[in-house]
Amino acid sequence: MTNPAEPCRNGGSCYPSTGLDRLQVGHLRHFANLSRQPPNQWDLMKGKGYGQEDFGGYRFQLAYMAYALALTHRHRLPAAPGVFKPIFERLIGKMLLPEVWMYWRDVSRGGSIFNAHLSPGYVEQWDPVIRDNIMYSAYLQSTALMYHYLFDDARYAQPGALALRFWSYFWGGEEKRFVYDEKSLNTHIYWQMVESGYLGVACEPNCTFQICNQPAILGFRLHDFVYGGSIATDVVSGYEQAWRDFGRIGDNGHYNIMLAQDTKSVRPNVGKAAWADAWCGTLMNMWNRDFVHAHYAGQAKDFLKPGPDGTLSVIAGERPLVMGQTIVSDSCDFGWMAAWASEMGDNATLCGLFKHAERHMSPRWSDGGLYYPRNDNATDADGNATMIEPMSGNVLMGYARLNVPDGLWRFYNEPWNASRFAEPALTRVSDDLDVSKAWFDATANRLEFALDGRGIASDGAVVLGNLRSRGRWIMHRDGAEIARGNANISEYTVGDVELRQSEDGLLLRHVDPRPAAYAMTFEA
Amino acid sequence: MTVPMFSEMPMVNGTFHLTDHNDRKVNTETFRGSFVLVFFGFTHCQVVCPRALTKLSAALDAIGDAPIPVTGLYITVDPARDSPQVMRDFLRSYPRFLGLTGSQTEIENAKRSFRVFATRSASSLDDGGYDVPHTAFTYLLDPAGQFIAHFGDAISLSELVERLRRCFISSSATGKTINDRLPAHGGC
Repeated sequence: MTNPAEPCRNGGSCYPSTGLDRLQVGHLRHFANLSRQPPNQWDLMKGKGYGQEDFGGYRFQLAYMAYALALTHRHRLPAAPGVFKPIFERLIGKMLLPEVWMYWRDVSRGGSIFNAHLSPGYVEQWDPVIRDNIMYSAYLQSTALMYHYLFDDARYAQPGALALRFWSYFWGGEEKRFVYDEKSLNTHIYWQMVESGYLGVACEPNCTFQICNQPAILGFRLHDFVYGGSIATDVVSGYEQAWRDFGRIGDNGHYNIMLAQDTKSVRPNVGKAAWADAWCGTLMNMWNRDFVHAHYAGQAKDFLKPGPDGTLSVIAGERPLVMGQTIVSDSCDFGWMAAWASEMGDNATLCGLFKHAERHMSPRWSDGGLYYPRNDNATDADGNATMIEPMSGNVLMGYARLNVPDGLWRFYNEPWNASRFAEPALTRVSDDLDVSKAWFDATANRLEFALDGRGIASDGAVVLGNLRSRGRWIMHRDGAEIARGNANISEYTVGDVELRQSEDGLLLRHVDPRPAAYAMTFEA
Repeated sequence: MTVPMFSEMPMVNGTFHLTDHNDRKVNTETFRGSFVLVFFGFTHCQVVCPRALTKLSAALDAIGDAPIPVTGLYITVDPARDSPQVMRDFLRSYPRFLGLTGSQTEIENAKRSFRVFATRSASSLDDGGYDVPHTAFTYLLDPAGQFIAHFGDAISLSELVERLRRCFISSSATGKTINDRLPAHGGC
C-alpha cells in the first residue's frame, strides 16, 4: 500500500491519489452539515461560555472549518473545488451574522482583569473590525482571501461584499452597517499592524495575543498570492523584530501568551495551558517552521498523559479563580493538541489522541457526518479524560485528521499553481454526494474521482468542468469502461450513471447506492 | 451615545499642523503643488534615521529636476528634544529635508494621521538618554496632499527611485489621487 506521506513516483504528493478514508469523509460531511444549518441555527455548536466571548465561539469554529477545508482541498482533494466552494460560501456567510460578532459591542468596553483600569477610555464599539478584535477581523480577512485564492473568485473583493449589518425590530434604532471587502479589510488590518509597531493587533482591548495575530499573517500571505506584493514578508519581518524584545518563549519553555499594550509586559504560559502552545504552534509553523519544530517535543511532553494501548490524553491546565469567580469557557486543549500534532507530523501522538477519543469521547455519526459531541465532564467514573468542546469535537479533530504534516506550512510556502484552474475538475457537486478522491494526474492525463451517495443520494450530480480543450475521453467506473465521448456529448446513460452536457461542463449523475471510483482519461 | 451607521475606513490621511525648522507654521496645504516625501524619526536616532535620510536624499538627487517639485519632510517623533533649532542643525547634513516639529499633541496627531508607531523606551543610555523606536516608512503624498504610497525601510535606492518615478508619472497623468488603483500595500 502506498504511504501518502512519501513522495509518489512522479515526485508529487501521494495524498491526492490516496484520497480520503471513511473518517475523513465523515468530518468533511459534518462541516458541510453544520454549514447548511439555517441562519441563526447553531445546533451542536454552543459551548460552555456565554456570549461568544471565548475560544469556543462560533467565529473560531467557522474559521477553522474553512481552514481545514482549505488544507483538504490543497493537499488531498485538489480536483474537487465543487465540494469546497459552496461550504466556504456558507461559512463566510455565517461569519457575517450578528450572532457571531455582536459580542464585540460589549467586549470593546473593557472591564476584564486585563483592561479594567483602562476602561474609562474605551467606548462601546459596534463595528467589530474597526479597532482591536483581531480575534474576529483576521478570520474574516483570511477566510475571504482564502476563498479568492482557492477558487479564483473575486466575490468578496467586490465593494461591500463583507457587510456587517445589524437591525432589530425590538431595539437599537436604525440599522448599523459596516461595509468592507477583502481588500479594504486587509488594508485596514495591515495599517493596524503598522501602528502597533508590528507587535500585533489586540483581541480584547489592551491584550495582544501571539496566537490571534497568526491568522492575519496568513491573510496577508493570501493577499500576496492573489494580488501580488510582499505584505506577509514585511509584516513577519517586523513582527520578528518587535517580539525579539519580549521573547516568543517564556522561561519555562512555553509560548508567551500575550502582551499587555499599556505596560508592555508579557503574560507567560505559567499554567502550562495546552491550548496556548498548541494553537500558537499549529499556526506559527506556517512561517516559522524550524523554530516551532525545535520547541515542539519539549513543550508537548508537558501536556500529554499516556494511557493504555498507546492512548494519549491531554492534561488540562489549572484555571485559577479570577476575582473570586470560576472561569467558564472552552479551552479546547484536546482539539488543539491534535491539530498541533497533525501539523508537526507527529503521527504517534496523533494516533494516541484519536485512539483515546474513539474510546472515551463518544464519536458520533449523524447524517453522514462524524463529530465528537460536547461533554462537560472532565473525566468518567474511571478517571479517563472525557471533556470535549464543540470547537474540538466539531472542528479541530476533523482538522487534525484532514491535515497533512506541515500542511499549513506548505499551504503558506508552496503557492498553488494557477494552471489548476484549467485542469479537469469536479466544479459542482450536489450536497448529497461524498467525494473521497478527486485529482487530475497530469502525467496520465486522467481525472480520478470517487463518489458515494451513501444510499440516499437523489440528485447525485457532479459537473466535470474544464474539458473543452481536452478532446476525446474514455470514462471507466470501477475499472470497467462505461462511456466514450468528447466535449459535445449529448446524452448517455449506462446503468445507474447518466451523462449529459450542461452549461458548465459534463453532468454526471451518480445515484447508485454503492460508492464508485471513476477515471476519465483524455486523449489531448 | 451615537453609533455610526457606516464605517469610515481609517487609511492614511497624511495631514499635519506643525512647525518647520525655520520656526514657520506649516500644514499639508503649505506643500500643495509639490510631491512630498515624508519620513518620521528623531535626531538622536543612531542608525535608522541617518541611513534612511541618506538613501532618501540620494533618491531625491537621482530624480533630479522632476516636472513637479518634490519636497522632503522629516517629522520628529521626539518633540521633547527636537526643537526647530535642533532639527535645523541635524538636517544640515541632509539639506534635501525640511524638519518639522511641534507640541506633543501636534506630533501625536501627525503620527495618528500617518498611522505611525513610535514609543519612547526607558532610559538606558549612558547619558540618561533614550531611544524612540519608530515606524521606518517613507510616505509619498501627491501634489493635492493625498497619500499615494509608502515604502519600507528595506527598499533599495534603485527600486525606490524607480517606484517614485512611476508614482510621479502615474499621478501626473491622471491629475488625481491614484491610491485606489494601487495595491493596498506600498502603492506604485
